[in-house]
Amino acid sequence: MELTRLENEMLDGAHGPAKQRAMAGLVQLGRAFGAPRMVEIGYAHIHAGMALYLEDVELMEELAELGAAMAVPASVNIANADTVNWRQTGAPEKLVRLQRRATAAHHKMGSACTYTCTPYWAGHWPTWNTHMTSIESTVTVFCNSVLGAKSNRDGFFAVYAGITGRYPLFGYHLDENRRGTQRFRIDAPLEGTTDYSCLGFHVGRIVGEGVPVLEGLPARPSLDELDALGAALATSGGVALFIVPGVTPPYADVPQAFGGGPVPDAIPVGRADVDAVYDYFCTGKTGAFDIVHVGCPHASFEEIKHYAALLGDRRVREGVEFWITTSRAVRTMAHEAGLLGPLEQAGAKVISDTCPISCHFARTTSPDPKLGVVPPPIRTVVVDSAKQAKYVRDMIRCDTLLTGTREAVETALTGQFVARRA
Amino acid sequence: MITLKARGIVEGRARGPALIGDEAISFLGDVDIGSGRIVGDLPSLANASVRGTVLIFPYTRGSAGAWRFLYQLFKHANHPVALITATVPDPSVVQGAILAGIPILCEPERPLKGLIGNGARVAVEVTGARGLITIEPADSR
Repeated sequence: MELTRLENEMLDGAHGPAKQRAMAGLVQLGRAFGAPRMVEIGYAHIHAGMALYLEDVELMEELAELGAAMAVPASVNIANADTVNWRQTGAPEKLVRLQRRATAAHHKMGSACTYTCTPYWAGHWPTWNTHMTSIESTVTVFCNSVLGAKSNRDGFFAVYAGITGRYPLFGYHLDENRRGTQRFRIDAPLEGTTDYSCLGFHVGRIVGEGVPVLEGLPARPSLDELDALGAALATSGGVALFIVPGVTPPYADVPQAFGGGPVPDAIPVGRADVDAVYDYFCTGKTGAFDIVHVGCPHASFEEIKHYAALLGDRRVREGVEFWITTSRAVRTMAHEAGLLGPLEQAGAKVISDTCPISCHFARTTSPDPKLGVVPPPIRTVVVDSAKQAKYVRDMIRCDTLLTGTREAVETALTGQFVARRA
Repeated sequence: MITLKARGIVEGRARGPALIGDEAISFLGDVDIGSGRIVGDLPSLANASVRGTVLIFPYTRGSAGAWRFLYQLFKHANHPVALITATVPDPSVVQGAILAGIPILCEPERPLKGLIGNGARVAVEVTGARGLITIEPADSR
C-alpha cells in the first residue's frame, strides 16, 4: 500500500501509540482487500463500547488512555442501556454504570456520544462524496443511498478510521462499485415506514450483497421511509447501497444507476411480496404479547410527532408495556417541544441510547457475570420494523408480531394486536 | 510434512487441530460465544467446537456485527486459533481477527479438504501477504 508521509509517521508511532495501533490495523485491512492507498475521511460513526459484552467497554477506555482522539467528526453507535432513564427498562444498575464508563471514554476522545443507530437525526449529516466509515449497517446504507456519502459496512475499525482520519480505498469508496447489480420494479401501494421496511427485507433477501436499483415507487419516499427501507435491506441482505433514481445522488435515471452498462431485466415486486414479510414475522399469539415497540431504527423527531398524533389524548391500555426508542438528542428535542410529557402521560416509555434487541433482553450477549444481567422472560414482542423483528427473533429468541406503526400504536391502546392491512 | 503457500490476510502464527467445514460461517449466530460450539445450521460442523482449532471453511456470511462475536470468542478463550478460507472473509471478520490476533489465510495453493481430515495438526504463519500452512505428521504430537 502506498502511504503518505503523514500516514507513515502514524504507522511508525511518531503521532503516539493510539494512532500507531489504528494505522497498523487499517494497513492490514487495506492489504487484505487490495487497497492501493488510504483516503481522507470526513466522518466516522463509531463503536460505543458495549456493556453487555465482556471487556468491550474496556476496549474504548484503553484507546482513550492511549491518548486516542477523533481526527474527524464522530458519532457513537447504540449502547446496551439507557444511560438516563434506565430504571424504566429494568436494567441492572451495574450494567448502566459500566455503560457510563464508555461515555466518559468517548468524551475524552472527543466523540459526540450520541448512542444511536440514527446519528443523522441527531445532526450528523455527511454530504455527497464524503468518504466516511460506520460500524452500523443502517448508517452505512442511509449515508450511501440517501446522502451520497461513501462508506463500507465496517466493524470496530470505524474507531481506527476516526482516530487517524483515514480509511483504505476499497469497496464502496470506489465509484466502480457504486452501481446497480439488480433491478426491481415496484408495483405495490406503500404507506408508512413499515411497508418500506418489509419491501427492503424482501428485496434484501434476493439481492444479497448486491446493489438493488428500485424503480416504480408510488411516490418519492420520505426520509423516514428511506431510512426504514435501507435498514431492512441491510438486515436480510448484505446491502451497503441501494439506488432510487432521482433520489440517490448522483443517479438521475435507471441507465445512470447501471453506470451506462447493460440494464438488466427488472424483477417484479408486488404487494403480496410485502405482505409475505408481515406474515413471516407474525409468529406470536395475537392475544398475548409482552412489549409493543416502535422506533427501529431510532425514531426521528418527525416520527416522535407522528406517535404523539396517533396516541392523541388516549391512554395506553393498563398493563401494556409500550416502548418508543430514539436517540438522547431527539428525546431532548421532543422534551423541549412539549411532546415528551404527553407521550409519557399517555403511558409510553420513551427510551434513549438503546432498544429491545440492544439491551439486557438479548440472550446472545456475553456480559461479565458480576453484572448480574438476567434477561427477563419475554414471549412475544410487537414491532413495526422488519429489522427489529429479525433480531428479536435471533437475539431475544422469542416470537414477534410485525405490523404498521399506526396499528402498533392501536395495539398498545387496545391491548389487542392489530394487524396491518394495506 | 506438507507445506502449502496461501495468501496472508491477518498476520500472526498459530498451531492447532484442523476443523473443516463445508458451509459458509457467520460469526454472528453460528457459534456460541460461551462455549465455542457451533449452534447454527451447519451440517458438516454439527456439534463441533471451534475452540483452539485451525478452522477451515469456504467463506464467511456477511454481517456487520461479526467482528464483535469473533472478538468475544477470543475474550472467552473459545476462539479458533486461526482461520483458513477459500476466499477473503468479510471486512468485519478481518477487523475482528486483527483485534483478537487471530491469523487468517485464504486461497491456499491446494484445497485442504481431501488433503487432511479433522484433527490433523496444522501450523500457520502469516507475515505481510505471505501465508504458510504446514501440515505436521500425525506422530509429531
